[in-house]
Amino acid sequence: MTKPTILLVDDEERILRSLRMLFFSNYTVRMTTDPHEAVRILRDEKVHVIISDQRMPVMLGAELLRLAREASPATMRILLTGYSDMDASIASVNEGEVFRYLLKPWVGDEVKQVVADAVAIAEASFAVQSHAVKTPSAARQKPRVLIMDHEETTAKVVHEILGGRCEIVWAADAQHAMEELAKQDVSVVVSDLMLGDTNVGYILKTIKQLNPQTQCIVVTSFNDTSRLIELINQAQISRYLPKPLSRNMLARYLESMLERFHVLSDQPVLQNRQKVAEISDPQEKRQSGNFLGLLGRLRSRIAN
Amino acid sequence: MNHVGHSGQGIHARDILALVNPIKAISPECTVAEVAELFLGDEYAKLLSLPVVENGRPIGAISRYRFMDMYLKQFARELYGKRPIRSFINPRPLLVELDRPLAEAALHVTENMQFPLTEDFIVTRHGKYLGVGFVMDLLKAMELRMRASADELSHAYTQLKSSQMALVQSEKMASLGQMVAGVAHEINTPLGYVQNNVAMGHELFTQVREMMAEYEALVEELMSVDASEEQIAIRMDRIAEMRAGFDASEMLVEMQALMADSLYGIDQISELVLNLKNFSRMDAAATEAVSLNDCIDSALNIGRNVLKNKVEVVRELGELPKLTCSPSQLNQVFLNLFTNAAQAMEKSGVLRIRSWSDGDSVYVNVSDNGKGIAPDILTRIFDPFFTTKPVGEGTGLGLAISHQIIQKHGGEITVESVLGSGTSFHIRLPLTVAASPARQQAQYA
Repeated sequence: MTKPTILLVDDEERILRSLRMLFFSNYTVRMTTDPHEAVRILRDEKVHVIISDQRMPVMLGAELLRLAREASPATMRILLTGYSDMDASIASVNEGEVFRYLLKPWVGDEVKQVVADAVAIAEASFAVQSHAVKTPSAARQKPRVLIMDHEETTAKVVHEILGGRCEIVWAADAQHAMEELAKQDVSVVVSDLMLGDTNVGYILKTIKQLNPQTQCIVVTSFNDTSRLIELINQAQISRYLPKPLSRNMLARYLESMLERFHVLSDQPVLQNRQKVAEISDPQEKRQSGNFLGLLGRLRSRIAN
Repeated sequence: MNHVGHSGQGIHARDILALVNPIKAISPECTVAEVAELFLGDEYAKLLSLPVVENGRPIGAISRYRFMDMYLKQFARELYGKRPIRSFINPRPLLVELDRPLAEAALHVTENMQFPLTEDFIVTRHGKYLGVGFVMDLLKAMELRMRASADELSHAYTQLKSSQMALVQSEKMASLGQMVAGVAHEINTPLGYVQNNVAMGHELFTQVREMMAEYEALVEELMSVDASEEQIAIRMDRIAEMRAGFDASEMLVEMQALMADSLYGIDQISELVLNLKNFSRMDAAATEAVSLNDCIDSALNIGRNVLKNKVEVVRELGELPKLTCSPSQLNQVFLNLFTNAAQAMEKSGVLRIRSWSDGDSVYVNVSDNGKGIAPDILTRIFDPFFTTKPVGEGTGLGLAISHQIIQKHGGEITVESVLGSGTSFHIRLPLTVAASPARQQAQYA
C-alpha cells in the first residue's frame, strides 16, 4: 500500500526539512519553497494534504490555497504561519477555505493529529470524486436561512437577496436562535459574533457539531484575529464578511453556501471536510454542552 | 437653515440688546434752548449725545461737545436759542442695527467714531430707533468676548497639543504594530523548526538509547563465557528487528543536519532580539553619543522583513564622528524612510544610503529608485496627516514625526523627487546642538 502524500510549502527550507522529519515515516513528503511549483505538483500528483506558510515573497499562503482548491479540490488545506494578521485570516477563510489554521511554533503531536485527520478525509473525498455519481437529489426542501444578528439590517439585506426562495428566520437574541435551531435544521446561518451581549461563538461551534452540512457566514464589525482563527478551526465558518455589509459579496456568498449545503446533503462523506476541532475554551465547551442538551430536549418536545 | 439663521440672529440681537439704553429721543423740531435744558437734566446726564428721531427713524445726533462749542460763542443762546436743533445735528450719527454681530458693530463704531469721543451710538431695529448705546460699553463687551475666545483658544490649543501627542503615540503604535507583525513572523519561523527539531531529537535519543542498550547487552553477552549461543541468537534477532524499523545511523545523520539548522535558527533569533534591543532602547530618552551609521544599520535590521526579497540595499557609509542624539528616535526616522522607500517600489528596486561628515555636521542621504512623488504632493509630504496610503494603512504622521525629530536635533530634512524615477531624502544633523534634544524630546519618549 502506498503512503498518502503530503505537500509542504514554505520559503524557509529549514521549516521544510524539520517538518519532513516529522512526517516521513508515515507519509510520502513532497516539499518546495516555490508556490508555483506547489501548484504544478497538485495538478500532476495525488496530494492528500497541503501545508503552506502564509508569508512568502512570491505568493501569500491564502492565495496558494485558493489555487490549490482549483487544482485539486479533494486535497485538504492547512495554513501554518508565524504571524497572523486580520487580512491573512480573512483570506484564508474566504479564499483558501482552510481546514486548519495553525501557528508557528507548532506542537508536533497536534500537527500530526491534524494531518492524520486531514489525510483520512482527503482519502474519502478522492473516493467520492472518482465515483462521481451525482445522485439527482429528491425534491429538495425549501432551504432555511437563519440570521443571528441584533440589528435588523442584516435580515433585511438577506431578504432582499433571497426573496421567497428560502425560508428566512431572524433571531435577535440567543434564546430565539436556539428555538429556531430546535424546530428544524438550517441550511445557512448568517451571524454576527455578538448577539446583544452574548458572544455567539459557542452557538456557531455547536451548530457545526449538530449539522455539519450547515454553512456559517459570519458578518461582523468585530476584529480579533485570534478569535477568528479559533472560529476557523473550531466552527469551520465558511465565509467571513466585515460590516458594514457589502450586498454583492453577501449575495455571492449566500449563493455559493446554499449550493455547498446541497452538495454536502447529497454527499455526506464530504461533510467531514469541515470537521471541527475540539472547543478549546472551557467555558465555551460547557456552554456548548448545555446548548446541545437544551436543543435535544426542545427537539424531542417538538417531535412529540 | 432657517432655524440656524434664526438662532444665530437671536444671539447677535441679544449681544447688542444688552447694551441698549432706552433713551427717549428728541424731535428735530426741538429748539436749541430746550436741548440745552435736556443736557442739564438727570435723564440725559450720562449721555455724550442725544439721538434725534423723525418718524421713528434716527436722522442724526447732537453732541454735548458740539453744543458746548456752539454755546461758547458770544450771544449764542440769544442767536440760536429759538432755532430748531435740526440745523445743528450731525446728520451721520453712529448707527448700529440690533441684529449685527457684536464684533461687526464694534468694528463699525471704532472705524467711524470721532476723536475725542463725542457721541454715543444709536441702536436701530429694522432702521427704527430703539435706544442709545455707550461706546465704552460696546468696547468693554468686545474685550470680554475677546478674553473669552482667547481662553477658548488657549484651551483648544492645549487640547490640540495633547491630541497631537496622542496621535504621535498612535503613529508609534501603528509602526510598532507593523514591526511586531514582521518581528513575530521572523522569530516564530526559526522558533518553529528549532522547537520541532529539538523535540524530535529528544525522541530520537530515546530510540537510540534503547538500541544502544541492546548492542551493549550483545557485546556483554559475546564477551561473557556464561551466555549461551541461543541467548545471543535471540539478542541478535531482536536487534535485527529493531534495525528493520529504524535506521539509527541514517536518522542520526538527518538529525545532525537538523541540529545544525537549529543552531542557525537560534543565532537568528538572538540576532533579532539584540537588534530589537538596540533599536528601541526604551530607556533612551537620554541622549547618547553614537555613530549614525549604527542607527542606519539598526534600522536596516529591523526593517529587514519589509526590505528582503524586494529591495537591494547599497550602503555607502563614510567615517562619522559620534553624534550626541537620541538614537531610538533617529532609528525611527531611518526605519520610516526605509519602509517608505520599499513601499515606493513596484516590484523591486535599489535603496542607496550614503553618509558623510564635514566636521560640523553629519549628512545622510537616503535615495530610492521607486515611483517618485508628484510635485504637488512633494510640498505636503511633511504635513501631519498627509498620506497617499489607503485609509487604515498609514496615519500620515510618519514623515511629520521624522521631520519633528530632525528639527529637535537642530538639523534639517529635505526631499527631492522625480516622478517615475525616484526620491531622495537629505538629512543634516549638526554635531553640536545648542539645546540638549533630550530635554525637548522628553514629551515624546
